This record gives sequence, structure tokens and C-alpha cells, in this order.
Amino acid sequence: MEQTSTTELPAHPVKARAPAFSLRRAVDGRLVAMTATGSVAVRLRQCFPWSEPRMHLSLRDEDDNEIALIEDPASLDPDSQRTLEDALAEAGFVLEVTHVLDIDEEVEIRHWTVETKQGRRTFQTHLDDWPRLLPSGGRLIRDVGGDLYHLADPKHMDKRSRELLWAFVD
Amino acid sequence: MDRQIISRYLGQPSELPAAVRSRIEESFGGEPVQLYGLADLDHTLQLKESWLALGPSHVALARPDAKGSWHVRAVERSHIRAVQDAPGLSANTLSLLGAPNDPPLAVVRYTQRQRGAFENIRFVLEEALHGRTVTSDDADRVYAEAVARPVRDAQALVANRRTAVILRLLAYLKPYRTQLTLGFSAAAVITLVSLVPPYLAGYVIDQVVRPAQTGGLDRTVASRIAWMAVSAMAVLFVVREAAALVRLRLMSVLGELVARDLRAELYEHIQRLSLAFFSRKKTGSLITRVTADTDRLWDFLAFGVVDVSLSVVMLLGLSVVLLVLDWRLGLVMTVPVPLFIYAIYWHGESLQRLFIRAWRKWSRVTDVLSDTIPGIRVVKAFNQEGREIVRFDERNDDVTDEFNRIHRTWTTFWPALMFFVHATTVLVWMFALPRLLGEGSALSAGVFVSFLLYATMFINPIEMIGQMARTMNRATSSAHRVFEVLDSKPEVQDGPAPVRLTPVQGRVTFENVTFAYDGVRQVLRSISFDVAPGELIGLVGPSGGGKSTVVNLIARFYDVSGGSVKIDGVDVRALDTGHYREQLGMVLQDPYLFHGTVLENIRYGLPDASLGEAIAAAKAANAHDFICKLGQGYDTMVGERGHTLSGGERQRVSIARAILHNPRILILDEATSSVDTETEREIQEALERLIAGRTVFAIAHRLSTLRRASRLFVLEDGKLAESGTHRELLGKHDGIYRRLYELQLQLQ
Repeated sequence: MEQTSTTELPAHPVKARAPAFSLRRAVDGRLVAMTATGSVAVRLRQCFPWSEPRMHLSLRDEDDNEIALIEDPASLDPDSQRTLEDALAEAGFVLEVTHVLDIDEEVEIRHWTVETKQGRRTFQTHLDDWPRLLPSGGRLIRDVGGDLYHLADPKHMDKRSRELLWAFVD
Repeated sequence: MDRQIISRYLGQPSELPAAVRSRIEESFGGEPVQLYGLADLDHTLQLKESWLALGPSHVALARPDAKGSWHVRAVERSHIRAVQDAPGLSANTLSLLGAPNDPPLAVVRYTQRQRGAFENIRFVLEEALHGRTVTSDDADRVYAEAVARPVRDAQALVANRRTAVILRLLAYLKPYRTQLTLGFSAAAVITLVSLVPPYLAGYVIDQVVRPAQTGGLDRTVASRIAWMAVSAMAVLFVVREAAALVRLRLMSVLGELVARDLRAELYEHIQRLSLAFFSRKKTGSLITRVTADTDRLWDFLAFGVVDVSLSVVMLLGLSVVLLVLDWRLGLVMTVPVPLFIYAIYWHGESLQRLFIRAWRKWSRVTDVLSDTIPGIRVVKAFNQEGREIVRFDERNDDVTDEFNRIHRTWTTFWPALMFFVHATTVLVWMFALPRLLGEGSALSAGVFVSFLLYATMFINPIEMIGQMARTMNRATSSAHRVFEVLDSKPEVQDGPAPVRLTPVQGRVTFENVTFAYDGVRQVLRSISFDVAPGELIGLVGPSGGGKSTVVNLIARFYDVSGGSVKIDGVDVRALDTGHYREQLGMVLQDPYLFHGTVLENIRYGLPDASLGEAIAAAKAANAHDFICKLGQGYDTMVGERGHTLSGGERQRVSIARAILHNPRILILDEATSSVDTETEREIQEALERLIAGRTVFAIAHRLSTLRRASRLFVLEDGKLAESGTHRELLGKHDGIYRRLYELQLQLQ
């Protein structure tokens, strides 16, 4: 994949506080980091997607080398912050479960039917995979395909969901 | 099966809908769709369906408009300048980029579930950008395989209806029809005989005891009849217990025979399955199927089938007898029965929920154990014993609470149920007493006693039928797990008339070999070479270059995706695989020794070899000396996986095993990479003896070990990038081999 500029990149990742650092969306849709030494298409990776999702954001090039580490997006200019916000929405996207409609077990897998903010979804987990407790108090379920499902607050879900979830959350 | 998995479990189309396909192919100018994927997220990251499809010269994006009809936009593939993918936690974005500073040609977003299908598309497009053409002959199969794979890897079957599974399982009883018939007959005798004593009791009271007490029957006659009844009862009990003996023995033996047959069939099938299957399944899970699952099926077949079916018969029989004896009291007794059965079923289901919760908490306890016991050195080094004890205690208390909750539940349920059962008996008494005392329709004491005795016989069948759902569930789960393995087909199979090369000369030819583990993403690309018998070939190159795949194809652990691998000019797919592998040897980085003696391990491939031959092989492998120093020499047990030996010792035993096996083609996969320098020298000496006169393919990261190779093949990115002798390759100034060699020299 090509870079937006042929300028040499810094050998070590920059801490994204320098005023020369900014982020923008290129016309072709790619996220581009602009440093004092040039610009490069980057991907966003959250260092702490559950402990501190909006801080410590790693920007990596197509070979997965870190170009910059943004400790706090507030250190960026407003345009870069907005660009980062959009990128964060995609990179940190998980399906948000609002209702649990059914949980059923088969031979080796457990079937879940849930209503999410994004629409209805059926997925499968291994029988010995359990929802993970997150630092925020929510729960995270990972299906066999690797998709993540977030339950923000199981205790405040509807009665049916709570009943179905009873065996799976404390 | 993949399509079934998608439509049954994933709630998305199992193939590109016909209407969308025809619209896309129209936009392709009639060319067919070669690959496609479902983009299940829209630009606002809502779950919505759109399709990205690839044709020979176009790529198309099909999206539904507000009215639900499909809007298709196609662009020529030649306009694509780059393919960018941005993976996220659950959302991935694939962008097809056109000219610089132009908007992207297409952007699709999808969840991880669709990732396999889009990685295939990305691979084909990127290969095209590098001037390489990859086509797929069956777009539907490739899509279904990519989307269904995670579920299939977790459970390689679409669960059948329970009855179908039970019927398949019962078919295993066929060879034992005689025992089964006898077992069932004995159980039927037990059931029928059990119905007689209560009737006899009633008869003796009404027809013998009471008439004798009231003078209506002569005492001598009464005594004779009574003793006859008692004798009949004794005979009945003897018959009953004899039948019980026959039934228990026959059915338990029969169940054991069926479990043996299942285990044998399962193990034989496992031995035939290809390596790909074992990469998908955990070892523990396969062992459980051969052991615990077949054991559970024994229980079901030996007792479950008969107990459940006879309980139904018993319950129906009892109901009929009670209603015939006295229909009013019969109704009082039988009407609550369905409620009792349902209550037991409901209790089982509730317990299941409790057990899932307890199981989850139990796994948290075992997590701590499996973390800290193997990692005890780290725990101690960081002085974390106290914290780990607290962590364990918390979880231990937690799981104890859950188990106590289960105990509270069942200890409440069963007395409550029995209370209601006894309440029914009290109700029967309440209805019966006035009639016994002469009010209403007459009821004899004998009939009432018979009735009460029959009533006590209700409990067992009610319990059995109530638990039938759980018994069936457990049996079908085990049967599913067993059938999942039995229904898996080996990817590598011999043709109808396999060829036997006797002996293999050792010529190995690759002709335009391409290979992809998943059918699309090629890990070997058009590789060709010809190796003469007796050559030593060094396979070198960066990790992931395709070295191991080459040797896997030579051993026919997998079949090529394109081109052919030939042994002595015969396509390896036409060979008798077992016979061919007898002439193939492998020495791996981590040699695997079986539980047994050193001698048994050396003779593994040739069990009839003489002791002298075993010693000669061990001497050639530089293993004889250390073996003689072991407490029991060649008869020393090596323990599970040979754990009582060091890495270098295990390796030398495995070389002795290969020497004795005397293969014509030998594969050395990093045979010396995990040992110290002195051991490496000894192993190298052994290997030099081993490779003499054979065709050898050796993979090694330490390039210095391959200096003596006839030729070196440098594999990079799935291609044969360089080949030649060590000297020739070092002569190439920009060569990959030279670069790798110099890098290793610097590190030394």
C-alpha cells in the first residue's frame, strides 16, 4: 500500500504532543498522520480498549510499526481530535447488547440470540467460554468468530434478559 | 455442511442471493462472480446487509436502497491501485483505492464473522496488483467455508433432531439382537411379575382371610389356599430376581460391547483422519470422546433404554390396573401423575441452570490452579503467595456457595414432591375409608390393600420418566460428539487403485505446485523442482516462507491445490499412502517418544527388528552409550513423551528409530535446533550416517548445518526464490541466502 508522501519517517515513534503532529482523513478515506518529517497512512489501535478506551492510542503504519502514541487526544488540535474521534468509533466498535432473547446449549457450543443497538444478532460461544467482567463493571462476550458483545449493565436489563443471564453473570 | 451451519446458526444467507447475483453479473457484462463476501455493517455501523463481489475484470458493491431493491455499482479491477484493510475490535473496514487523491472506489465494513471471506477477496486483489492471477472455481463454497469455519471448528456438525441421533445410536445394538431381546424379555417379566403380588395380597384378604374369619370358608381349605398363595408369591419373587439377574447381566455386557465397538470404530477413524482435523480439535477433547462419552453411552444403552421404556409400560400398566380395580380411587391416584412427571422435569431444568452457574465458578477455581501450580516459581519469585491464597479462597468460597445453593434446591424439592405423593395416598384413604365403612359404593379391604400396594409402585417410574429428558439429552450430546468425529472425512484419501512403489527410489518432483490451507490464500506459489535420488536438499528462508508446507506435501499430509508432487515420476495422490509412508522417515525438532521402553521406541516403525539391529541403529545414532548408562538399559521406561530423557537424548533415540526404519526419503525438520553445541555435534554425526544413500530434505535455521547440502532451496513468500549450492548462493551479491548467512555470522 502506498503512503501519501515519500518523505522518510522517523526511526522511533513520536509522542503525539508535538505541535507539528496532526491527523487528517485523506480524500481516499485513509487516516493520515502528519509529523514534522512527513505523512503516513495509519491505523488506530487502542492500548486499553476497556481500562481507558479514549487514552493511550497507538497509531500504526501498514506494517504495524508504531508511528505515534497519543496519550491524551486533548493534546491534539481540534481538527485532529475530531478525526481521531471518528477513527476511534470504528476501531473501538463492538456490538452493544440491549436485550438477551435466548441462550441455548448444543453439543459443543452455546447459542445466543440478542438484540443489540446495531440490530438483532445470533452468535455462538464455546461451552467453556464465559462473559468477561470488565473494569467498567460491564461484561464482554467473545463469540467463536472473534466478534465482541458488550453488556453495559446486566443488572439493569429487562427481567427476561436478567433471568437468562443469571447463570452467566454475578 | 458449511451452508447448513450458516443458515441454521448464523442467521445470514448461506450464499449470494440469486437476485443480487444476477444484478451483479449483469453489471459485470455477463461475467461470473468469482468471490464474494457479506458486508454486514453499514457506514453508521448498524447491522445491514450489502455484498462485495469479485469478477474476472470487475468488482461490484451491491447495497439495498430504501425500498429494498438492490443498487449495484461495479468498477473495473484495473482501476484499483491499492487495497486497504483496517481491523478493529469487531468492525473491519476494507477500502479499494483508486487514483491518488480520488475518493475510494469502494468501502465496506463488516464484523469479524465475515473476515475470512473478505481476506480471500483482499488476497486475490493484492495478488492481482502484483501481476498474479488467482481464481476461485466455486465462489459459493469458498464463501460458505470462510464464514462457517469458526463454528465448524468449534462443532463440526449441525446437531440432528434428538430422535435421529438416538435411532442412529440404537443401530449399534443390531449385532446384539439376541441379547437385547432376552434383556428386554427379562425386564418385561420383572414388570409383569411385580404386578402380581399386590393382586395376590388383595385376593388372599378378600377371598381367604375374611371368609375364614367370618366362617364363610373352612379353615383347613382357607389355610391351604393361603399357603398356596404364599408359595406362589415366593415363586414369583424367585422368578423376578432371576429375571433381574438375566437382565442386569445381559444389558450391562451388551452396553459394554456396544461401547467397545464405538471406541474401536472411533479410534480407527481417528487414525485415518488427516492432520488438518487434529489442528482443529484439542487432544483432550478427542480423548474424552473415546473414553467418557462412550462410557456415558454404555450407561444409556445398558440401562437407560430399557429403564425408560419399561417405566412407561409400568406406569401405563399400573394406571390400567388401578382403574380396573376401582375407577374412582384409580382416578384420584392417576390424575396427579402427569403433574409429578412435569415437576421432576422442571426441577431437572432448574438444576441445569444452577449447574451452569456452578460450573462457571468452578472454572474460576481451576483457572487459579492451572495458573499458579505450573507457574509456582514466578509466584514465589514475586512473593505473591499471599495474594494467590486470597484469590483462591475467594473463588473457593464462591463455588461452595453455588454448590450449597444446588443442595438447598434438590433437598427441598424431593421431600416436597414426596409430600405431594403421600398427600395423594392420604386422599385415597379419605375417599376409601367411608366406602370401607359401608357408605356409598362398596370397597373391599382386599381391593384397598392391593390398591395401596400398587400405589407405592408409582414412584420409581415417575422418577424415571421425569428424568428421561436429561438422560436423553446427555446421551444425545455424547452421541453427537462421537458422531462428529465419525462423520469427519479425511482430506487425504487413496484412489481406487493405489500404486505401490517397491522400493521408492527417492526422486521427488514438484511441478508448478500451489497450495493453500484454506483453498484461497496460497502459501506455496507455482513451485517447481526436481530432486534426484540421494540428494541432500536444504530448505531455508524466513519463517512463513513455505518450508514446512513443502515437507508436509512430500509426506502427503495434505494434497496440493494446483500442480503435482511426484515420487519417482508417479503423482503422490496415486500412491498407496500407507505403503509410501513406510519408506519415508521424519526427524522433528521436538521428537515424540511414546510411553514405553527405549527399545520399543527404537523399534516403533519396525517391531520385528532384532535386538542386534536395534543396537546397531542406536550406535549409528550416537545413542548406544547413553542408553547403556540408563538404569535398565534398552528396557528403561522413557515415561510419557519420553520426559525422563533430555532433549538431545530423545533426539538421538528418534534418529535411531529413523535409521532402523531405513526410509528412502528422509525429512529433517530443525532436528538440531533445540540442543546445546556438544549435543548438536553428536546429533550431526548421527545424522550424517542417517542421510547416507537417501533423498533428504532438511529444514534448518542455522545455515551452517546445511553447508554439505547438494543444493539449497530458498523459499520466501511461498516461492522458490533461489536454488543452488552453498557456494553458488553465497556468490549472489543481492541474494536472500547470502543476506541471511551474513546476518547469522554477525550474530555469532
